[in-house]
Amino acid sequence: MTGRARARGRPPRQGPALPAVGDAPVQQGAPGQLRDRRQPPPPQQLHVPPPQSEELGGHGRLRGFESVLHERRPEGLQVSSGLQDLSLRDRGGRRRDFHDLGVNTRQAMVHVQESKTGFSGKIIKLTTNHFRLTSRPQWALYQYHVGYSPEMEARRLRSALLFQHEEHIGKTHAFDGSILFLPKKLENKVTELFSRTRNGEVVKITVTLTNELPPTSPTCLQFYNIIFRRLLKMLNLQQIGRNYYNPSDPVSIPNHRLMVWLGFTSSILQYEENIMLCADVSHKVLRGETVLDTMHSLHSQVGEERFRDTCAKELIGLIVLTKYNNRTYRIDDIDWDNNPKGTFRKSDGSEMSFVEYYKKQYNIEISDWMQPVLISQMKRKRGNIQGPVALIPELCSLTGLTDKMRSDFNMMKDLAIHTRLPPEQRQREIGKLLNYIQKDDNVQKELRNWGLSFDYKSVSFTGRVVQGEKIFQSGNMFDYNPQFADWTKETRGVPLIRAVPVDSWLLIYTRRNYDVANTLLQSLFKITPSMGIRMNKPNMIEVDDRTEAYLRVLQQRVTPDTNIVFCILSSSRKDKYDAIKKYLCTDCPIPSQCVLARTLSKPQTIMTVATKIALQMNCKMGGELWSVEIPLKQVMIVGIDCYHDTVSGKQSIAGFVASLNQTVTRWFSRCVIQSRGQELVDGIKACLQCALRNWSKWNNCLPSRIFVYRDGVGDGQLNTLVNYEVPQFLDCLKSIGTDYSPRLTVIVVKKRVGARFFAEIGGGLRNPPPGTVVDTVVTRPEWYDFFIVSQTVKNGCVAPTHYNVIYDTSQLKPDHVQRLTYKLCHMYYNWSGIIRVPAPCQYAHKLAFLVGQSIHREPNLLLSDRLYYL
Amino acid sequence: MDKNFQEEITQIIKFKPPLYKQRHQFVKDLVEKYKPKKVADLGCADCSLLRMLKFCSCIEVLAGLDICANVMQEKMHTLSPLPVDYLQPSERSLTVTLHHGSVAHKDPCMLGFDLVTCIELIEHLEEPELKKFPEVVFGFMAPSIVVISTPNSEFNPLLPGVMLYRHPDHKFEWNQAQFQSWALETARCYDYSVEFTGVGHPPTGMEKAGFCTQIGVFIRKYPQTGGSVQSEKPTEAVYKTVFKAVYPSLKDEKYLQNAVISEVIFTAQIIKHRLMSKHKEYGDDPERKSKFQPSMDCFSDYLGKLVVEKNMEPFVSGNEVYIPLATIFSFPKVNRLCGTFEKLCKLIAGKVTLSSDGSAVIFNIEHENEEN
Repeated sequence: MTGRARARGRPPRQGPALPAVGDAPVQQGAPGQLRDRRQPPPPQQLHVPPPQSEELGGHGRLRGFESVLHERRPEGLQVSSGLQDLSLRDRGGRRRDFHDLGVNTRQAMVHVQESKTGFSGKIIKLTTNHFRLTSRPQWALYQYHVGYSPEMEARRLRSALLFQHEEHIGKTHAFDGSILFLPKKLENKVTELFSRTRNGEVVKITVTLTNELPPTSPTCLQFYNIIFRRLLKMLNLQQIGRNYYNPSDPVSIPNHRLMVWLGFTSSILQYEENIMLCADVSHKVLRGETVLDTMHSLHSQVGEERFRDTCAKELIGLIVLTKYNNRTYRIDDIDWDNNPKGTFRKSDGSEMSFVEYYKKQYNIEISDWMQPVLISQMKRKRGNIQGPVALIPELCSLTGLTDKMRSDFNMMKDLAIHTRLPPEQRQREIGKLLNYIQKDDNVQKELRNWGLSFDYKSVSFTGRVVQGEKIFQSGNMFDYNPQFADWTKETRGVPLIRAVPVDSWLLIYTRRNYDVANTLLQSLFKITPSMGIRMNKPNMIEVDDRTEAYLRVLQQRVTPDTNIVFCILSSSRKDKYDAIKKYLCTDCPIPSQCVLARTLSKPQTIMTVATKIALQMNCKMGGELWSVEIPLKQVMIVGIDCYHDTVSGKQSIAGFVASLNQTVTRWFSRCVIQSRGQELVDGIKACLQCALRNWSKWNNCLPSRIFVYRDGVGDGQLNTLVNYEVPQFLDCLKSIGTDYSPRLTVIVVKKRVGARFFAEIGGGLRNPPPGTVVDTVVTRPEWYDFFIVSQTVKNGCVAPTHYNVIYDTSQLKPDHVQRLTYKLCHMYYNWSGIIRVPAPCQYAHKLAFLVGQSIHREPNLLLSDRLYYL
Repeated sequence: MDKNFQEEITQIIKFKPPLYKQRHQFVKDLVEKYKPKKVADLGCADCSLLRMLKFCSCIEVLAGLDICANVMQEKMHTLSPLPVDYLQPSERSLTVTLHHGSVAHKDPCMLGFDLVTCIELIEHLEEPELKKFPEVVFGFMAPSIVVISTPNSEFNPLLPGVMLYRHPDHKFEWNQAQFQSWALETARCYDYSVEFTGVGHPPTGMEKAGFCTQIGVFIRKYPQTGGSVQSEKPTEAVYKTVFKAVYPSLKDEKYLQNAVISEVIFTAQIIKHRLMSKHKEYGDDPERKSKFQPSMDCFSDYLGKLVVEKNMEPFVSGNEVYIPLATIFSFPKVNRLCGTFEKLCKLIAGKVTLSSDGSAVIFNIEHENEEN
């Protein structure tokens, strides 16, 4: 469940795509689109954050970007200027700094200048999926500016004119229309060449050396990635989105009409000591049916009146591939009033129908002329196309999984067989990519020409496994088996730290579920006493299985004394659940527990289920389950995560959770609802103020240390965070009082990372045990960052979580920050085990998800001191 | 050799759609008319014509030839199959190959084509190459149809900014009489007929200038007698293959098998669901019933008819559902893919769980109801 909502809420990640071959712009699109589509887009600037030079904290000496680079890596001095000029692009690519290059946060933290590594724990031998990139000694990349006189506009023309002089510049080059990269230095700093256009016009081309780039410069890194993409293309891998896949050996899962392509994600970055390729296996789930097929089957499933709604829910946000070009589009809307006979305006102003267009352009006959038209909003300019693009469902194939498919247990099980590769197998598959590279003559030639090569053996190093935490529960102390990272068994039947009595509560069910309700009740009465929960008989209410019936009962029967409302639902129909949650979170703030009847219907699991439910109910009413030792005093821990609403597409929700007590067992929770285009930080500032007020109410003082775990940060957003969000936090703290200056630590939490670690145990590769910390070799030199493997997985490879400390005045040793982070992964009350992220992040995620999916409004603040959203 | 692009710049003012598009459209119309299976584009440059032709469903072999490997390589990946081509393999087979070489050399890979196009090619040839060109194209390759287009120099005065030739790499530009006499001579020599036409109409009043691009369409007079030709032409390969893409096709057993298995299982699933929901009719889950029942409406009539016949009815036995292959085979999509029942059995053998006598697909439904 972690991060999925967020992941899909993100705009599609699309890497460099081939030039547009044709997507019909919608009518309102500006004229000029059709013609422009044939031309390569004009060179575009690479958006890289400017080197940041302002001082961040209230301590330390001001250090500029350059001076630091100078100190640490003298040869990199000219890098920053090159970075700003860089506009080298792979064709059609989106310029976004996915790897947050050039955001140097470590420089501002004096206490980790020397070392950012921890020390505690047992040493463990690890390998990873990183491969060293090597270059010749004295290697440099030569960057030239190419000017034309008279000025030539078109990129292709500029290339054609320049490459008339291949004997001068050589066969190996990368050129984007204005910047030329060469592996060798030209004889002169400025070379003048003369070419003739077909009009006989003589054009003077001036090739000027602007930079000699050392292998480690950010510009070079960008360049390596572009070259690497070239190599993948040479290997005949198919690009879908950002990654490359091997189409020749697909796995098909006919039961679900799915196809899985095996592919690779790759990125080349400067890591602690080396530039390395990080390669991982990626699986692309493709579907053997068109959007139109899906629409047909939805129609037959839900009938006419719910058809459009269902289509919107199922399809919007999905990524489609088209039959005629190599592009992916995100479905943003469905235009039911349009159909393939509809027209759009071409560049010459004439109108053309989709049917005609596809016939003429691609020889494709659209067979169903009544289908609606899909709308995809182009978030960025592609060529000159911007704004909505119309797509014909019949010509689009779906990729990825829908929510419904994800909830299909059998389907996910069938998929997992192919996609969850155990460590050995994963490493073998990754090895295949390196093998392809090594074996392909053309690829090797290209690499040689650029003077580059790879270490074909992955990097090995050591990590540390920190000691397991002790779990405290009402005077009892438990160890857990590190192999499972779970203490369900150990803590069974032990009183909770704080058990909230359930004196007055409602149990609502439909007639059909009467038996289920009784079974549940008996089980609850059996298990709650050992937990220390006092539970009275509920107010049992039978209702019709209609949303209104549930709501009416709630309106009539909930009293101010009601502790909790328990609803047994007979189906997973979302509208009923949403209505109940919405009412009980906003209008009538009472904790609520909804459970599907089916979950309770199996006698063999009812006790386990009831135990979990009892714990969850207790948390929702403000109870506490267990704790771990938190050695820091007067500390407030904050977790933030975001949810992006894919369906309405209009709002994002940030969940904000802050600890209230010393043991970090009670939480203050709020959320910020932010409409499109609005900045998140204002709302977060208000939340932080509110959290501080509450903390001081609970503790009679203000916290002296604040840790913020910030999840939900997309690739390339780090700069924004550093430059806007952190200053806002500081501002907020200042506003509390002039003499108040707590120590602040802001840590960016990232679950979706490419790095994988494998423990070398007994001659084979295994998943590293929970508590494995990695803070060398594969971390980034410009950051104070580390990885922790906190959870365990039953099958497949465990994914480490990346922590990037972007601001830190705590003066704590890295080891202590790592330990604290790991401790917090033990504190998520919905799971008696260790989770992937610190508990406050997971709480924030849960909250944001509930609000985004069901409530769509800020929940009542009366609930804010309880985990009502679990 | 950005001929398309550069001409567009000046001529976009004059021609709508741009001239290069008109030339491509001309070829496409020709393809529609004659339905050639094997088409070669000589001087394919950035492969834009090939990219257009790959969508013509009659073509099964597409080849490009150019003297400059770089210009081909720059865009050659756009000729690769798209992901969707793998997802929904087409009925026809298609192979796209790019060769690096000169039209002045013979290579056996160019034999057996139905249509050879030389769009804006000959004016780039040096004298000796031009001399060898007819023998290579008409004598050696000897396709049924050859299309040759070239600039008409009589039109040049009407083009703004054209001094000598339209492109610096042009070695000559012929007027109508020059082109036609060359073409007629060539046609006569190799036993082709030729018709002249062009694209890019002259402005009114200037009709004498002729088309901006003049085109000759050559058609071989007599059908070739395969055997004798081959024996006359023992030639070594001199072209270098720079790109080859074989499109997934149902003609390929591997893709056909995948498609059939996928369709068989999918169809069987539909039948199973129908059967199960029938079983559940009086069960305790009305919601599920209503969910699946309508989806079967399109099939129900059809199935109704089928089950009248013997051995066609799916049935449940213990924890297993049996769905007769004959029933599955009678679904139009499966039927169309396999053709014969024997073929169906052959294709799914070992890939789909069948009953012991091989007559029905079996699903185990033991765990079916637990999670859904």
